[in-house]
Amino acid sequence: MQDKEFENRKSSDIITVDRISKTFSSGVVALNEFTTHIRRSEVVVVIGPSGSGKSTFLRCLNGLEDIDSGSIVIDGIPLDDNKKNRQEIRKEVGMVFQQFNLFPHMTVRDNINLAQQLVRKKSKADATEMTMDLLRKVNITEKADAFPAQLSGGQQQRVAIARALAMMPKVMLFDEATSALDPEMIGEVLDVMKKLAREGMTMVVVTHEMGFAREVSDWVIFMENGKIVEAGKPEYFFNHPLEERTRAFLSQILT
Amino acid sequence: MNWRSQNVMKYIRFFSDSGSLIDVLKYLIVMLAGIWLISVGTEKLGYNWQWYRVPRYIFTFEGRHLVAGPLIHGLMVTFQICSISMLFSFVIGLTAALFRLSDSQAARILARCYLEMIRNTPLVVQLFFIYFVLGPVLGIERFLSAVLALSLFEGAYASEIFRGGIVSIQKGQWEAAYSLGLGSFDTYRCIILPQAFRRILPPLTSQGISLIKDSALVSIIAVYDLTMQGQVIIAETFLTFELWFTIAAIYLAVTLTLSFLVNLLEKRISVQS
Repeated sequence: MQDKEFENRKSSDIITVDRISKTFSSGVVALNEFTTHIRRSEVVVVIGPSGSGKSTFLRCLNGLEDIDSGSIVIDGIPLDDNKKNRQEIRKEVGMVFQQFNLFPHMTVRDNINLAQQLVRKKSKADATEMTMDLLRKVNITEKADAFPAQLSGGQQQRVAIARALAMMPKVMLFDEATSALDPEMIGEVLDVMKKLAREGMTMVVVTHEMGFAREVSDWVIFMENGKIVEAGKPEYFFNHPLEERTRAFLSQILT
Repeated sequence: MNWRSQNVMKYIRFFSDSGSLIDVLKYLIVMLAGIWLISVGTEKLGYNWQWYRVPRYIFTFEGRHLVAGPLIHGLMVTFQICSISMLFSFVIGLTAALFRLSDSQAARILARCYLEMIRNTPLVVQLFFIYFVLGPVLGIERFLSAVLALSLFEGAYASEIFRGGIVSIQKGQWEAAYSLGLGSFDTYRCIILPQAFRRILPPLTSQGISLIKDSALVSIIAVYDLTMQGQVIIAETFLTFELWFTIAAIYLAVTLTLSFLVNLLEKRISVQS
């Protein structure tokens, strides 16, 4: 049943990851012949114990980490040593980090304007118009002139999402976007992410928020030691996991 | 205890509470000791102080016009040398730092060689080398030699300051910029350097002050800077102590002004973010 589902999913891939491997200089194997496909407008949640390689997988998708072998193709562009391709992919793939990584010396507005003006070559007025639209979307218009240090963690992360969206990416990557937040701020960030998912954004989400995975995701990947242990639709994955290891992991984090 | 002595006590307590009374006392003791040392020293030398002869070397009046003396002329030369060298040393320093951090092994080795060569030889030797060896070959005269030597020398130290500032910026800033599609150049220009600059302003100021003081060395290749002018006057007048003190005071005034200006700049920058 799940195999058939997997074959169907291949039809309209936006991301094709074929047997990628990555070993860090420390000798840690982060990815081991990892293969997956992600369809347009799909929300894929990647879970797994720490050190399982899920963050590395995400960082490989926009070339923040180099892969040792295998291939990644995003929207028809191969992610290889060609610098132009890499640049092209980074324009189309937005990323949201655990530590927000806003530019502290710029206002919220300039943070979001920057790439629009430098990379998309928009005029300042056009960029600002889009920035204000995005700030409205993440519900934080009143902070346009504030500096990141003046915002709460949740607000900073929402600005970071707006900043990534300003590039009009085809794919958004979320690397534990809520893990550094105080509990009462997780909700506001997850709400923005859910909104994005409903609008049809293709999203790859590394998270520990099982509620989000259950509610929003189309596909769940459970990783360990750089490999997929089990993958499936959330209703099967959470209710009827096939692998013993998945059951053990789920029982640990769901209690 | 009457009202007045109570007030005095309050005053004393205020100072000693904040520790500043003790600081003031320490300061006074050091100053008195200094003055005492100099007066005892010069007494033993039997030195004949002739301060009244000094001002004419700074300014003279010709009729109703104020005319700059040789020391001011020298100061102007020092200003020229320092401002040009400072600009160049920052450019060289930044370039060397970027070379050190680049992906190209050749650039890294080049920058490393430059740094080690400059840092491990005396400035005087470099100055002589540039003036006497490179000078005739490349046809550069003494002023340019002085500027070149100072720029290369201070640039080496500045490069380490720049490098330190750049690597102190968290990796996440690079990643955020790259993930937005920015190239290395834009990332350096808009994200990394503006943040690094705030951090390296204090050590960079120290470097600038060193440059001003090191510029006194150019007098050995007969560039008529402040120090050289002083030496010439001393040779003519034997006002050794008066002039060296005066020259020291002028250098001090220049470096303190620089520190003060940078302090203002630092405050302005920190208010901004």
